[in-house]
Amino acid sequence: MHETSAALLGAVAVWLVHYIGGTFFPALEIIDFDEAMAFVDWNVVFLILGMMIFMAMFSETGIFRRLAFRAFRLARGNAWLLGLILILLTGVTSSFLNNVTALLLLVPLSIQIAETVGVHPFAYVIPEVLAANVGGASTIIGDPPSTIVGLHLGLGFFEYAAEAAPVVIVSLLIVAGLALWLYRRELAGAKQRLSPALVTQLEEGARITDVPLLRKAVVVGLITMFLFFAGELFQLPPSVGAMTGATLLIVWVRPDMPRMMREVDWTTLFFFIGIFVLVGGVEKAGVIDWLAQAIADLAGDSLSKATVLMVWLSGAVSGVVDNIPYTIAALPIADLLSNSIPAARDSHALYWALIFGADFGGNLTYLGGAGNIVAIGLLAQAGYRVTFGRFMRDGLVVTAATLLVATIWLLIRY
Amino acid sequence: MGRILCATRGGEDSKRTQQAAIALAKERGDELVFLYVADASFLDNIAAPVVVDVQLELDQMGRFQLALAQEQAAEQGVAAQITIRHGHLHAEVIAAARELGISLVVLGRPQGPTAIFDETDQEGFAAEIEERTSAEVRIV
Repeated sequence: MHETSAALLGAVAVWLVHYIGGTFFPALEIIDFDEAMAFVDWNVVFLILGMMIFMAMFSETGIFRRLAFRAFRLARGNAWLLGLILILLTGVTSSFLNNVTALLLLVPLSIQIAETVGVHPFAYVIPEVLAANVGGASTIIGDPPSTIVGLHLGLGFFEYAAEAAPVVIVSLLIVAGLALWLYRRELAGAKQRLSPALVTQLEEGARITDVPLLRKAVVVGLITMFLFFAGELFQLPPSVGAMTGATLLIVWVRPDMPRMMREVDWTTLFFFIGIFVLVGGVEKAGVIDWLAQAIADLAGDSLSKATVLMVWLSGAVSGVVDNIPYTIAALPIADLLSNSIPAARDSHALYWALIFGADFGGNLTYLGGAGNIVAIGLLAQAGYRVTFGRFMRDGLVVTAATLLVATIWLLIRY
Repeated sequence: MGRILCATRGGEDSKRTQQAAIALAKERGDELVFLYVADASFLDNIAAPVVVDVQLELDQMGRFQLALAQEQAAEQGVAAQITIRHGHLHAEVIAAARELGISLVVLGRPQGPTAIFDETDQEGFAAEIEERTSAEVRIV
């Protein structure tokens, strides 16, 4: 079943239990429609909608493929340097684009680059997936857990980035180091002479397709960044900044509006709404309280223990299930623990533990994130099948290392 | 002169299949067509914003894979044609075989745990092609 269908089914079930079940058994009156709507974080929904419109137009310019090709040129056939540049490029790109978009734009060209230099595509693509999950944690728009928790805390774009940057930069460098070590044999076997015909073919697929649109998108991107920055002065929510940027671009570029609206991925937005309602029902039913109490019993009054538990539990769960429903469900647990543990009351430690755990944990298996599944699908389309175990060989090492970095940082910081 | 269709993606297994198709084209004096089927169905079950033109990305990747195959064929003196289709692999191979008047379809034999298809699937697919088109099928 599609994830959005499952989320909507859950939301509808919550309402039917309340209205129909509650008619016969009052104990089943858990959450009515109006209460459920209050659980939907519209700031999250509109931030994602705004970025989606903006990125749909930005990605049409061909800029990301061009950047990957520039990386190829810059490396001058050095497979190691190329691997390093692609990892860092993916990490930075996924800070501003969601992982699925970043990987859909970068992975096809990376597979072609790998084949041109005679390196197995796993050596570039799997590290790119790992870098995307880590890089996504660096900004409030990079990965859904960052968006959900960051907006819940009322953090601005730069406020969030300043807090996340040290952990993400160190983690990204660790991903790069581990990837180059894990793929040392493949990289060492790269071709010394490249086929001019293949390089030409590669370049043809990496042209800027719409220069005027690119110029406009860059200008509006800078204005949006300014709004994110100014938003912290004027209490402007990031969703308003993102929607302003998207609207400016729509007014300036004048795209075919019906087509533009068809390109917006409504399934994702309804997935979020469905999950918010479903988790609201679960929370009202007392399940979240029970889980929070179980974690509080394990941690006692120790913020350090609770932080470690939150990082690693979030990492483990996000490694096997989608981190969006997990984050929405774990957020009220972080709220309850932050209120019940005295040292946590004035700190955001448990929320950051949730962000890093949910974002970095997505690297554990290929089921851990939609971006992972997209990259695996693209590799299969090029004739390279990644097995569950094959992905986990790299994912486990990188997840453990990056969760360790996050844990150490949070214990020092808080 | 007949026409050979070789459905290909990329990777080591595909290179073996391409080599076998090139050898058959030389031996029989047939025309050779490499086919890439861009199938975006791996996106069907994920709830994440897909704002990229996926078909365009897959087209470009397919064109590159076919250029690799064409280069291999050219090295052996065979001028191969290429074609890209969108949709499900099985349906598109059958449709291409019919439209292009194909006399022989060359499919790769699945090798090892990382193969995209298993052997039983491939044999069933070969039987389906022979039943629904006038082409012969060889699994190489």
